[in-house]
Amino acid sequence: MKEACGCPGSKMQDFAEEQKGAKDESGSRSSQLRQWPIQLHLVSPEAPYFQKADVVISADCVAYAAGDFHKDYLKGKSLVIACPKLDEDQDTYVEKITSLIDAAKVNTITVLTMEVPCCAGLVNLTTKALHAAKRKVPVKSIVIGIRGGGVLSEDWIS
Amino acid sequence: MKAYLNAPIKEVITKFPEVAGILTSYDIGCVPCAVGTCLLKDVVTIHNISENKKAELMYRVEKAIYPDRQIAKPVPVAEQPGSKKEVLRYSPPLKALVDEHDLIKRLLKSVPGIAKYLRKNPALDKELVLNIVDFIRKYADKLHHAKEEDILFKYFDGNSDVLKTMLADHTSGREHVKSVVKALNENDRESIILHLEGYAALLTEHIRKEDEILYPWMDRGLSVSQVGELFTKFNEVDTVTQKGVAEKYRKSIELMEEQIITE
Ligand SMILES: [Fe+2]
Ligand SMILES: [Fe+2]
Repeated sequence: MKEACGCPGSKMQDFAEEQKGAKDESGSRSSQLRQWPIQLHLVSPEAPYFQKADVVISADCVAYAAGDFHKDYLKGKSLVIACPKLDEDQDTYVEKITSLIDAAKVNTITVLTMEVPCCAGLVNLTTKALHAAKRKVPVKSIVIGIRGGGVLSEDWIS
Repeated sequence: MKAYLNAPIKEVITKFPEVAGILTSYDIGCVPCAVGTCLLKDVVTIHNISENKKAELMYRVEKAIYPDRQIAKPVPVAEQPGSKKEVLRYSPPLKALVDEHDLIKRLLKSVPGIAKYLRKNPALDKELVLNIVDFIRKYADKLHHAKEEDILFKYFDGNSDVLKTMLADHTSGREHVKSVVKALNENDRESIILHLEGYAALLTEHIRKEDEILYPWMDRGLSVSQVGELFTKFNEVDTVTQKGVAEKYRKSIELMEEQIITE
């Protein structure tokens, strides 16, 4: 039998029961997305929507975990998404984030990650870019819980 | 070793199966991961283990990869609780203001020494007093209080009692400085000391209120976007209009500290 994976990032968890109840299905929200593309390999730091913007760098999974991703994190922000565990060529990610800081002169960066340890790689990539950049910019790290999508920590890291 | 640090975890384990057991013993559950593309160095950094444990782990991994190599066993160091992740208590622009307080607090702490020095010397050291006045006016007031009054406080309700109190403190501070200058012109040593002491008492309490109450409260009210704006505006003040001022006054405070100690 194949040994179960011990990586918290891949560990199987079922919490369907916890998510029952307290659901308001009425009304609808409009999307707060104001740009395309969003994947970090696909975006161009020169795009007008990044200039002096408040940028959210979100791990792919966050949008599915946080129930109100659009309202709570995306509204008024520009977005890039990436997966620090599976995506290839992450040096390009560092270069792109460096360009967002130096060329697009972004106002702030908010890094959204899941609580699993490997997701912290996205914070590391951003920190590397910050060190490589000539400008300094405030960076906030928000960690989202797997169960319920709540905020587990919210800290300014630079 | 560097090559292995930059290698995917799966590759390292396939080559050196012993590494799997080592990682597992530190509760790093990456071993059976089907993907296994995380780099060995990242796996170690990302998991929440102490610096000592990390050093010990790296030592054991290196030994597993190079059994014949002479590797120095890491010596455990005293670790501070919470030293793992660096977290700022304030947003970056407010942290900058807290850092500016540090230099002002150095002057405030020196005031008893300054009083002693002024009383001890037969001739009044006018230059020292003028340097202190210059520091308060240009650094504490023009650079620091101006950032607060002209930029930061504008993001909040100017009619609130909290802000009114803080502004009143700034005004009282300016009055003390005026009185110091007046007393200096009149060669009134005791009055100079009295107003320096008054200034120090006022500002010590004022800075404590800002660091412990006002700034954390402001941080809770500022949006991420406003934090970015403040950060940019403060940087503009620092780089365009006040170039070199911070460094100049850091040196000036150092000189003053030396002077009152050595005399
Ligand atoms: Fe103040
Ligand atoms: Fe202050």
